[in-house]
Amino acid sequence: MRIFLIGAGQVGFAVVEALHSDHDVTVLDTEPSRLAALTERYDVATVEGDGTSRRVLTAAGVQDADLVIACTSRDEVNLVAGMFARREAKNATTVIRTSNVEYVELWRVGQLDVDFVVCSELETAHAISRIIGVPAARQTDVFAEGQVQIVEFDIQEGASQDVLGAPLREAKIPRDSKVAAIIRGDQMLLPGGDEIIRSGDRIVVIGSPEAAQAWSALLAPEGATVRDVVIYGAGRVGSAIARVLLDQGIRVRMIEASPEKARSVAEALPQARVYNATGIDPDFLERERIGHANAAIFAMRDDAKNLYAASLAEVHGVRFTIGIAHEQVSVEAFEHAGIDVSVNPRAVTAEEIIRFAHDPRTKQVALLEGNRYEVIDVTLRDTSEYIGKAFKEMPVRGALIGAVVRNGDAIFPHGDDVLQTGDRVIVFTEASDAPRVVDAL
Amino acid sequence: MDVKATANLIGVLMKYLGLAVVFPIAVALVYHDPIWPFLAAGAITSGVGLAVERATADAAVRVGTREGFLVVAATWLIAATFASLPYLFSGGDQLGHPIDAYFEGMSGFTTTGATVLTDYDELSPSLAMWRQFTQWLGGMGIIILAIAVLPRLRVGGRQLLESELPGPEIAQLSERIRNTARRLWVLYVGLTALETLALASLGWLGIDERMNMYEALAHAFTTMPSGGFSTQANSIEAFSAATQWIVIVFMLLAGANFALMYRGITRRQPRAFARDEEFRLYLVLVGVASTALVVQLWSYGLAEGEAAVRAGIFQTVSIVTTTGYATADFAAWPTLSLLTIFALMFAGGSAGSTSGGIKLVRHLLVGKVLRRELDQTVSPEVVSPIRLNGAAVDERTLRGIAAFILLYVGFWAVGAAAIAIESAFDGIEIGALDALAISASAVGNVGPALGITGPMGSYEPLGDVSKLTMIFLMWVGRLEIIPVVVLLTRNYWRM
Repeated sequence: MRIFLIGAGQVGFAVVEALHSDHDVTVLDTEPSRLAALTERYDVATVEGDGTSRRVLTAAGVQDADLVIACTSRDEVNLVAGMFARREAKNATTVIRTSNVEYVELWRVGQLDVDFVVCSELETAHAISRIIGVPAARQTDVFAEGQVQIVEFDIQEGASQDVLGAPLREAKIPRDSKVAAIIRGDQMLLPGGDEIIRSGDRIVVIGSPEAAQAWSALLAPEGATVRDVVIYGAGRVGSAIARVLLDQGIRVRMIEASPEKARSVAEALPQARVYNATGIDPDFLERERIGHANAAIFAMRDDAKNLYAASLAEVHGVRFTIGIAHEQVSVEAFEHAGIDVSVNPRAVTAEEIIRFAHDPRTKQVALLEGNRYEVIDVTLRDTSEYIGKAFKEMPVRGALIGAVVRNGDAIFPHGDDVLQTGDRVIVFTEASDAPRVVDAL
Repeated sequence: MDVKATANLIGVLMKYLGLAVVFPIAVALVYHDPIWPFLAAGAITSGVGLAVERATADAAVRVGTREGFLVVAATWLIAATFASLPYLFSGGDQLGHPIDAYFEGMSGFTTTGATVLTDYDELSPSLAMWRQFTQWLGGMGIIILAIAVLPRLRVGGRQLLESELPGPEIAQLSERIRNTARRLWVLYVGLTALETLALASLGWLGIDERMNMYEALAHAFTTMPSGGFSTQANSIEAFSAATQWIVIVFMLLAGANFALMYRGITRRQPRAFARDEEFRLYLVLVGVASTALVVQLWSYGLAEGEAAVRAGIFQTVSIVTTTGYATADFAAWPTLSLLTIFALMFAGGSAGSTSGGIKLVRHLLVGKVLRRELDQTVSPEVVSPIRLNGAAVDERTLRGIAAFILLYVGFWAVGAAAIAIESAFDGIEIGALDALAISASAVGNVGPALGITGPMGSYEPLGDVSKLTMIFLMWVGRLEIIPVVVLLTRNYWRM
């Protein structure tokens, strides 16, 4: 597939990283240094120029592309580039990134002439809402219209003995779920029935939403449902998160240091309780009982501030912290410092964009563990060799079928179940194996 | 401060204001009254206006925000003078005295409804109708009327409209001020016509023998502006129960927000009323206060059955909307009822209505500010914008409301003191509560007060200082205080 990418920022980098090995990628950006950094690492063509210029776009060959992605940090550039690409490359799919929820709404009602709109803020908010739904999880992704969840858990001391210490075939694993992988140190195991989950492991579970919650309860018994959330930072990300959580009936308190921003978010979200404070004043934290919140989300613009505020919140008793990491490097720092979950909006956005580059049969993918593993939602070819085979007979080839979607309903298969023509399968695999797995299916 | 441009605009307004005598002249011709008092009043007003306009013809073209305050304040003083001229010329003993005439004129244009009349029968039909008519002109605002009908009136910003239209914020019914003003007046005229028709038909159907076309028009003229002048010494008590119920309905309409009514009618969205917080408060207040009065009247044995219900609702609506009609001499009621009536004088109707007083939306917003203050006492960092009908209200507007209420209470207290002191010296029978009620009634443009100045009484016995105090209170009350007080600041007159 020929992919034309406008914008070589963080999102652009993540997209290139995921796509460069299997596709022909051309990257356009105004900044030569960014393009140089890109060519140093990846085998992609680069063009220096302005994405809002139709002449530049045609000279760079946008008309030959199958997929056009506009993912600069500026909405207007992405919009203009997306619309030009739509005119020039009639058969291409156009995807644009935006940071404005309004554009997403416009696109939904057909007022924006592009194929897909991906909003970093909205994707981040949904990612966080999924995490909040399963508090013990590090990361969750949903598939098949929410019927299937892929959840990553860290196994800590104190997890229920139902799942710990016994071989998987004997462990009391929640119904309609399957342990897809165990990550132990740098190693990933696709577990057979003899494998034992140990504390310190990280596991990937595929299952129904109820099963995911049951897992969460097993692994973090004290982490009951989240009803009360504190969000630090009322910028675009913070506001988007607040909006999504309020819609789910969760009580939201927001802390914002800028009086103007605090006022405007208070005007926009009447149900949220907004404080104009830095959030690092111990008196304030004590007085407002911030420590009593079930979870705190740190969505300020500065990663360092997020880190410090999160540490302080933990000192004051917040048990579940989620940090927004604007730089990929911060994710590690956050984890090291004890923030429970880190979300990088640009990574989330890139992940969303990458979905469009997959085989047309592929509905959706998720990336886990810094792009090392992929979860693919793919429809079986009529000629697939797997049709008619029972699961227990299937060869293990570095991939695991976690769920089957048949006639719109999710099935969590057992050894005797058989794949049928037209089934959609949700497969967990290593990223490098993903194209091979899709071919085989 | 462009005095010349201000004078020029006032001159233009006077020139056209004088034409209002056409209506009483027509009435005088029908009833064979002398027309010269009206002719002279009109000629003097228009003549002076024309002269001022000519003398300042070279003035700057536009009147700005700053000049707007002076235009509005001066125009209302002049309008009251204009209204008083016919009383001065033909008012006889009752209204012939300059202070009495000016009192009646100011009470008319400001739609207060306080009167110095004692003998209503002595008044000629045309002069009685003139009293009613001045209230009708003042109700929706004379400058708003001028903006609506005068061709190329050289008025700039919304300031003029804002100074005259009751309430903290004006609702825009159109992009153009002129269209907003027109729509308000069209609705006002329409409702007045409807009430006239409704009342007159009671007369035609023989339901109310005292009601005729003259009385119907005269009372529609003072219901819709929530004025309260009547042609009868005993106000609406003179008419049948059916008439009283109809008047209640139209008083309620007059106390509602005209912009809201316009939208509700033109866009056919009755739900707009249910969603409006001020309108809901209006209905709740009228409901609760009426119930309280009905219970009191019934238990004191002053009335029972339908009569008690009607009397309770009528008096409540009349005071809340600051109309000032009465169907019973509430000044003679027991103390608890007096206090109820007195408290209601501070309510006022809706913003954007023709009523006076503090206005319910201000009470509503002050209540919300107080609740926020309490919240912020516990949590100082909390940011919670005050909302009205879902939209956040500007903090400046809230400060303006606080200032308004403080000034309102200040003027009321000082006014009451002035009236009480003079009455004490003159030996006029005014109790403490009466003095407080008179002042509240004047600044709130209600009309009747308690004691000898009750609904069936008269302000005639009061001294000149008290009358002048009331004239001032009626004036600042009608213009909602701030446009007048602004004129007293030094900064206003600089440059």
